[in-house]
Amino acid sequence: MADTVLECRNLWKIYGKITAVKDVSLEVKEGDIKLVFGPSGSGKSTLARCLAMLTTPTKGEVILTGENLTRSGVDLNKARARIGFVFQHIWLFHHLTALGNVELGLRQVLKLPKEEARERALQALREVKMEGWAEHYPAQMSGGQQQRVGIARALAMNPEIIILDEPTSSLDPELTGEVVDTLRDLAQKGTTMLVISHEMTFAREVADEMIFIDEGAIIERGPPELFFTNPTSERARRFMARLIKRTRRE
Amino acid sequence: MDLSEKLILILSGLPTTLAISILSFLLGFIIGLPLAFVRTYTSKPFQILVDGYEKVLRSVPEIVTMLFLYFGVGGIPAFRFPFKNSFFVATFALGLRSGANQSQVFRSAIRGIGEEQMVAARSLGLSRLQAVFHVMIPQTFIIATPGLGSEYALLVKDSSYSFILGVIDMMRRADTVRKTSLDTVFPYIATALLYILLTFPLATYLDSWGSRKKKELGL
Ligand SMILES: Nc1ncnc2c1ncn2[C@@H]1O[C@H](COP(=O)(O)OP(=O)(O)OP(=O)(O)O)[C@@H](O)[C@H]1O
Ligand SMILES: [Mg+2]
Repeated sequence: MADTVLECRNLWKIYGKITAVKDVSLEVKEGDIKLVFGPSGSGKSTLARCLAMLTTPTKGEVILTGENLTRSGVDLNKARARIGFVFQHIWLFHHLTALGNVELGLRQVLKLPKEEARERALQALREVKMEGWAEHYPAQMSGGQQQRVGIARALAMNPEIIILDEPTSSLDPELTGEVVDTLRDLAQKGTTMLVISHEMTFAREVADEMIFIDEGAIIERGPPELFFTNPTSERARRFMARLIKRTRRE
Repeated sequence: MDLSEKLILILSGLPTTLAISILSFLLGFIIGLPLAFVRTYTSKPFQILVDGYEKVLRSVPEIVTMLFLYFGVGGIPAFRFPFKNSFFVATFALGLRSGANQSQVFRSAIRGIGEEQMVAARSLGLSRLQAVFHVMIPQTFIIATPGLGSEYALLVKDSSYSFILGVIDMMRRADTVRKTSLDTVFPYIATALLYILLTFPLATYLDSWGSRKKKELGL
């Protein structure tokens, strides 16, 4: 049985009156591809950020290969370096080229020597087919290209898991394809991933498990077939119907 | 005294004017940049301290600060050195005020960059300090460049206050020329033009460079 890479137990995140994440427990094993989806504002981004310890959960535990990250005294910088994160709104560093974006973590966090960092960064850019854009600044690229650099930036660190928060949702429809292709490549290589996405074709193809979230809580989970044929909960059923209709229209 | 003699005499004050402006700008930078980050990223008590510093130095006229440092602080025997040195006091007083101004310039630049860049840097495992140095500061500089240009211009202008402490800068020289030649027009017009020359081109250049860079990088 594969080892568990990242898991959370009874995770809560409360912002004042808003409960963004409500008692969520999940587990991502090595080589797993989990797909999280749900309506806007249901707490997907918040859950993703808690898992990467980019925000501190209100309650519950986040465990990275056996190490409890929610305990005090844990070196969170070290832990974050082992978790790749791709942002919904991309968030490349504006002042750095594609290469500079990918190199930063390699140089400053992994402390690789200049040449080695450069080699590894170029390799990561190659994997997302952006090596030809190494010297370009984010503002000179399309959204899809930027997001591929965002994926390369996470990938280059050689993380144990990559969390992708709706990597295509801020892109024009005609640009989502290239990013989804990149994700497919990652899936094929056996990358451990937690992907938040509403790309249902992609989900059906690669996800080991789909997790439907609404109002901060897991409503239903299971293999893609469950969701595409006969979701148990009324909410998941209605949401899937909407998504599938939208996918057909595109 | 003919015009060129007058002009040469006025120009002999120019290095002092420039020295006060540049040194006080640097002092303001050394104070202002860290204050901006302290104000943005630390806890309430520190924020209140920074706010207090900014409020006081931006409200008190430079002349008051200068005279207070020169006569007040400089009057205390233990502080005669360096506060009885008028060049030092002028530079120091302007630098303190510039620190308050630059802190605000940098702070609004940091606010303009937004929290996202910080979060992205932290997601790679950079510590907060590393993120500040490698991600926030470089972008802060670009956004702040036009504001820093205006701040520099302000310092060149305000360096003329040092005249009251007896610093022999351009302003002082102009006044000397007026006294000795009894020409009450040329010295002031020439000095005014020189101040414009010292401030306007550089401030304009920094403004356009900063704006262009900002646009290029989508900041
Ligand atoms: N920093 C914050 N402070 C206060 N409330 C927040 C914060 N971040 C998120 N929320 C709230 O938490 C809830 C969940 O937000 P979240 O961004 O996680 O949803 P989401 O499922 O990712 O939505 P979307 O599909 O639009 O990206 C929302 O009600 C949101 O307003
Ligand atoms: Mg979201």
